[in-house]
Amino acid sequence: MPPVATYSEEELVHLLKQQSKDAFDYLYRQYSAVLYGVINKVVYDEQTAQDILQETFVKIWNNISQYNAQKGRIYTWMINIARNAAIDKLRSKGEIMKSKIQTGEDIVINIAGKIQTEQSTDTIGLRKMVSGLKPEYETIVSLAYFKGFTLDEISKTLGIPLGTVKTRMRHAMQLLRENFSV
Amino acid sequence: MNVKDYIESGILEAYILGSLTPEEEAQVVANIALYPEVAAEVAEIERAMHAFAKSMAKEPSPEMQDKIWDAIQQQSQSAPANMGNDSEDQVTAPKLIQFTPEHRKQNQWAQAAVWVALVGSLLVNIMFWFQKSDVQQKQVAMQQHIDTMQQKQAQFASLINNYEAEKRMMADTAMQTIVMHTVQANKPMAATMYWNKGKGEAYVSIGSMPPPPDGMQYQLWVIQDGKPVDMGTLPNNMAQTPAMLKAGMSVTSGQAFAISLEKAGGNPTPTTVYVVGKMG
Repeated sequence: MPPVATYSEEELVHLLKQQSKDAFDYLYRQYSAVLYGVINKVVYDEQTAQDILQETFVKIWNNISQYNAQKGRIYTWMINIARNAAIDKLRSKGEIMKSKIQTGEDIVINIAGKIQTEQSTDTIGLRKMVSGLKPEYETIVSLAYFKGFTLDEISKTLGIPLGTVKTRMRHAMQLLRENFSV
Repeated sequence: MNVKDYIESGILEAYILGSLTPEEEAQVVANIALYPEVAAEVAEIERAMHAFAKSMAKEPSPEMQDKIWDAIQQQSQSAPANMGNDSEDQVTAPKLIQFTPEHRKQNQWAQAAVWVALVGSLLVNIMFWFQKSDVQQKQVAMQQHIDTMQQKQAQFASLINNYEAEKRMMADTAMQTIVMHTVQANKPMAATMYWNKGKGEAYVSIGSMPPPPDGMQYQLWVIQDGKPVDMGTLPNNMAQTPAMLKAGMSVTSGQAFAISLEKAGGNPTPTTVYVVGKMG
């Protein structure tokens, strides 16, 4: 195999704006697995996840001129496009509304259950990471990141004060940072 | 603001997790620009989330790459074709309108009309003769009215020139638009910088900011290496107008632009920062 070029984020943005096949191939090679992984945490159905992956790349392709480096890195921007596309799909299917009217306890069980069933197919790394978080932290991260809940919605769904939601987010992310600081 | 408490509150984590409202998000973006500690913390959280996302990575099935490329090709081919059709529809054939001359009226009616016109003209002349001074007055008023209109027209013309200049700037791809968001709780304000990094040119517009209170003035700053550098005060009549001002100094680097409220004439360091926009 020929050596594979790697680009900085700025170079990648520049490359994408030229809209060449090479730019697409590079983009796909570098990011498809990460984006697909994130999508798969939001929607579990394989076919739906593939549709969303396609939609995500089309959006990245068409909206690259709107990417604003001020608001964060290109990586975060692309992950957010994938995440939002998946969450939109989830909302349109009414799944999110179902989960929003459940009580806090149900949510914990529901999400814990879903994560458990997934663990059989997940990589070893993820299983280790997820079990490393206490359920009360895991629930908040999942609701925010994978289900698109706002702070207010999380507070109401779980019946805990807004301040507590934020401090738990802080703790959860501190744990993630420790887990991932290599 | 106590930066340490702010960082500890968990709002930055909520920002990266995407669970803030747009207003809250704008606040965080402003604080990232304003406080290097906040920016560093956000970068750390982003790094952790990237590692988190990477740990979940899952290879899509191999045929997806070609499938997605095809989809991208298809939509980019169909889009311009549609636009072409639309513009053709807008062209309509010119309409022909035919004029038919009116039939000549009978001679006697024409004679009567001449008499009526003559008598009418005489009456009107007499009337004018009596009302001469009145007419002159009206004429003066009319002249004033025209003068005001011409003044207004000149104002509009300069406004249009401003817009034209603005449009040319926007069209310049090297020109970055940097929106400065409010950092004052409960005060929705915004200002815009247009910055050409290569040429070092910067323009400011404060159309969405309130006029400063008496004896006060807005002052523009560029944050370079974490320190605010004075870019001069802004004329008070710029507030709430689309007027743009070119900065007197060249700016080729920095982390953020900011506008603060100061006593008239400005201060060597900012007192109350109103809006901040991070530079790309």
